[in-house]
Amino acid sequence: MVRSSLNEREKKGGAVILTWKGVLRGGRRLFPIAVFTIPFGIAFGVAAIESGLTSTQAVLMSVAAFSGATQFATLDFWREPLAFGSLAMVLLALNARHVIMGAALSPWINRLPFGRRILSLSYLSDPNFADSQPAFQEGERDVGILLGGGLTLWVCWVAGTAIGALGGTDIGDPSSYGIDVVMPCFFAAVVAGQLNQATAFAPILVASVIAVALLSIVPTGWNVVVAALAGAFVGLIFHAK
Amino acid sequence: MPNDATAFAVIAMIAVITFASRVSGALLMSRIEVSARIDRFLDALSVSVIAALVASIVAQNGLREAVAVAFAAAIMLGWKSAICAMIGGMGFAAAWTPILS
Repeated sequence: MVRSSLNEREKKGGAVILTWKGVLRGGRRLFPIAVFTIPFGIAFGVAAIESGLTSTQAVLMSVAAFSGATQFATLDFWREPLAFGSLAMVLLALNARHVIMGAALSPWINRLPFGRRILSLSYLSDPNFADSQPAFQEGERDVGILLGGGLTLWVCWVAGTAIGALGGTDIGDPSSYGIDVVMPCFFAAVVAGQLNQATAFAPILVASVIAVALLSIVPTGWNVVVAALAGAFVGLIFHAK
Repeated sequence: MPNDATAFAVIAMIAVITFASRVSGALLMSRIEVSARIDRFLDALSVSVIAALVASIVAQNGLREAVAVAFAAAIMLGWKSAICAMIGGMGFAAAWTPILS
């Protein structure tokens, strides 16, 4: 697909803003997805108590970290003496993809003043990235949708954790309702939505294959980072031809 | 069990690592002039990171998850709604257990 340089500029151009209206719109956009983080939050709250955290610690962790994979991984380390170094390595691996996502959002984010950049990225996670990046690409200019989506996810995650940690009621296996596949299905839909751009096909293929091939070779998390970078280089090469 | 001081130190460490990873991508890019080439790189990077995430999740799970994800992608191609696709995939996965096992 050949896009003219004018279209390229229009696509990324225009003033970037951060408004309350945008935040509310982002919250509404992502709410149908975010509600499904409540059962996972409950599961985390219950697991945290079982691992020996107090309910305050469990809720505080969700408030401060807001990252399911990170928090569940931390529970595996919850014994004395705590292996800070090994835990830090696992956390870096699991969070490295957010650096990639922040970089991918930079053409829009970095046109905001510094404080607003930090604010709008503070609640960055996979679902609001997957929702907002394509929207920005299609001309959305309010970074509020990223922040609003993130805040909605955060509220649901923290609320779920509190229910699980304080109530301690195990809600049963989320997989019996299919809730466990919600996020991968949403992400797959976002990827499928990009298949109309012929240039996206090769990066998707390469990234998927490399992510799977590296699973047993590198620590989980780094496989996604390497695969994403490989996909991006493939996208660059194919487009240049 | 870790004592209170250790627990709060761990929570602080997690908070720092997650926050730093969220903001550092854009901060690193703030020194770089976004040319048309870098723009294309970042576009491909966006779709690649999500595709890699899906592939990684699917590969760590079973056939049920793989088929549900494929079903969701197919719905997206037909209806162009990520929410419909998500609900379809979830319904498929919910029906899988009672029907097939």
